[in-house]
Amino acid sequence: MEQKPTALLEARNLRKTYRLSRRNQVEALRGVDLEIAAGEMVAIMGPSGSGKSTLMHILGLLHSADRDGGPAPELRVNGSEVGGLTDRQRTRMRADTMGFVFQSYNLVPTLTALENVALAGEYAGVARGKAKQAAMDALGWVGLSERHSHRPMELSGGEQQRVALARSLVNEPMLLLADEPTGNLDSARSQEVLEMLRRFNRERGQTLVLVTHDADVGGTCDRIIHMRDGLVEGVERRTPLA
Amino acid sequence: MRLLRQLSRRKLRTTLTILGITIGIWALVVFSSMANKINSLVAGGSEYFTGKILVTDATNFAVGAGIAPMNISAADQMRELDDVAAVDAQIQMIYDPEASQGFGPAEFLLGSIAGSDEGRETFAFTPVQGRLLTPADEGSNVVVFGSDLARKQNAKIDDTVDIRGESFTVVGILEPTLTAPDTMAIIPLQAAQQLMAASLPQSIRDAISADELISQVVVYPKPGVDDAELAAEIERDVDNVQTLTGAEFDEQVGAFTGVFNAIIIGVAVISLVVGGLSVINTMAMSVAERTREIGIKRAIGGSRRRIIRELVTEAAVIGFIGGVIGLVLGATVVVLANEAGRSSGTILFELTPGTAIFAVSFSTILGMIAGVIPAWSAARLDPVEALRYE
Repeated sequence: MEQKPTALLEARNLRKTYRLSRRNQVEALRGVDLEIAAGEMVAIMGPSGSGKSTLMHILGLLHSADRDGGPAPELRVNGSEVGGLTDRQRTRMRADTMGFVFQSYNLVPTLTALENVALAGEYAGVARGKAKQAAMDALGWVGLSERHSHRPMELSGGEQQRVALARSLVNEPMLLLADEPTGNLDSARSQEVLEMLRRFNRERGQTLVLVTHDADVGGTCDRIIHMRDGLVEGVERRTPLA
Repeated sequence: MRLLRQLSRRKLRTTLTILGITIGIWALVVFSSMANKINSLVAGGSEYFTGKILVTDATNFAVGAGIAPMNISAADQMRELDDVAAVDAQIQMIYDPEASQGFGPAEFLLGSIAGSDEGRETFAFTPVQGRLLTPADEGSNVVVFGSDLARKQNAKIDDTVDIRGESFTVVGILEPTLTAPDTMAIIPLQAAQQLMAASLPQSIRDAISADELISQVVVYPKPGVDDAELAAEIERDVDNVQTLTGAEFDEQVGAFTGVFNAIIIGVAVISLVVGGLSVINTMAMSVAERTREIGIKRAIGGSRRRIIRELVTEAAVIGFIGGVIGLVLGATVVVLANEAGRSSGTILFELTPGTAIFAVSFSTILGMIAGVIPAWSAARLDPVEALRYE
C-alpha cells in the first residue's frame, strides 16, 4: 500500500498584495495552495514577477500572507499553524527549523566563515562554544574546513555560497529554503552547489525548497511547481514518490 | 573581545566614528578643565577671605589689591578696637616688576610677621619641602615659595634666589593649593619693607621710614563679631582706608568670575552639544550603512531584541573608546598648555577626576542612546526589505 509522506509544509489560500503607493498595487500572490512533504526536493519556477520569491518569503516566515480580500490563509509548518505567531515566535521558528540560502550569499562581511556559520547557531540558542563546534562540522560538510578563518571577501563566489549553505544547515533544520542559490555562479560552481544540495537531500533527508528560473536546476528536483501571475500554473513530478 | 575584533575589521568606519566622538569629548575636557580652574581660583579666594577683613589704603585702584603704601600705625589703631582679635600687617607687591603679566593669577610677594594671625588663619599653608616662616626669621632674607612660582623659578631648598635685586635663601616650598598662594612668595615683613622702600619714589621715602611701611592689614574679628559692622567701624575710626570682607569679596570677584564662568560653561555646553550630535550622527550613519547586514541577521533567526543589543553594545564600546581617546587628548592639551604657561605664571586648566569620569561616561552613555534609536528602527525593518538594501 502506498504511504503518503508527512507534509512538512501545508499552505492554503496564500495571497499577497504589495501596496507600493496609493494607486500602484502589485498582486504578487493570488491564492496559492501547496504541500511539501518531508524529505522532498522541490523547485519553484516561473518567470520574474510570477510570485515565486514572495511565496518563498511567506513559506520562510519572513512575510505573512494577506488575511483580507479572500478566504483565510493557512500555513502549517510540521503540522502547526503559524498564521497567528508573533514576530518573536516567527523569528524563533526561523532560527530553529529553517535554513536560508540567498542568491547573493548574504554573509556578514565582518565575520569569518566560521563566525558566520556559528552566528546562526547562537541565534537558535546554542552556547557560543558549541555553536562554534557545530559550525566547524557544517563547514566540513561543504568542504571548507580549511577556509574557516577567511572573511567573505577573501572567498570566491562559490565558496561564499558554500559558507551560506553551511550556515543554513548548522542547526540541522527541517526545511532548507534557497532563493536562486546558483544565480550568481558560473556553471561549474553552480553544479558543485547543486550537487551538494542534492546530496544533503538524498543522504540526510533534508527537505529542500528552491526558487530558480534555471531549468537545469529545476531538473535535479523531485518536483517542480510552475508559477505564473501569482498562481500555481502546474506541478511537474520528476521522480516517482518513494 | 569578539566585538573589538569585528570593529577592527571595519577599520575605516570605526575610526571615523571614534574620531567624531573623540573631537567632541576632547573639546569637552579642555573647556571643562578651564572652567574648573576658574572655579577653584574663586573658591580658593572665597575661602581665604572668609572670617577676615582686608584693609588697604583708600587710594588703591581696586579693593583687595593692597599695593599702595600705608603706615603701620594704622594697624596699631585697628589692634586697639574691641572687636578685633588679631591683626596681621603685611606688604604685598608684584614679585617681579620687570616681568610682563600673563593671563592668570598674578605673582606676588607677601611680607608678613609669621604668627601675627595668632592662630586664627583658617587657610592652611602646608610645606611640601622645608618649613614655613617663623617670627625668628624677621631680619633675615629667607623665602617660602608657592608651588607654581617655585617651579617657575626652579627654586629648591637652600638655593639662593634673587628677588628684586636682593638675595634670599629658600627655606620652604608650599603644597599646591590650586589658587592664589601657588604664585606667591612669602618673606619676613622686615625684608619686604626694605624691598618696598627701595621701589618707592624719594618723596614718599622721606615721609615714611622703611620699618613703618605696610600695604595691607588683615584683621581677624573676635568670634561672634559681625564682619560688616567691624569693617564699617574700621573705615570710620582709621583714616584713609578701605575694607573688604569675605562677603564683599564673593560679591565683587564672584560677579566678575561669574560672567567669565558663564562664558566658559556656555562654550562647554556648545562642545557638549556638538560632541553629542557628532556621536548621534556617526552612530546613525554607521547603523544605516549596515541595514543589509541587519536584514541577514533577522532572516537567519536573530531576534529584534538581540540585534538591538548587539548594536547598542557596539555603540557603547565605540562611545567608550572615543571618550577615553578624547580624554587622553584633552588631558595632553591641559598638561602641555599648563607646562607651557608655567614659565609665565599662566595656569589655565585644571583637569579633575570628576571631569574625566564625566567625559567618559557621557560619551559612553550618549553613544548608547545614539545607537538605540537607529538600532531600534533598523531591527523593525522588514528583513526582506533590508536584504534588498544596497
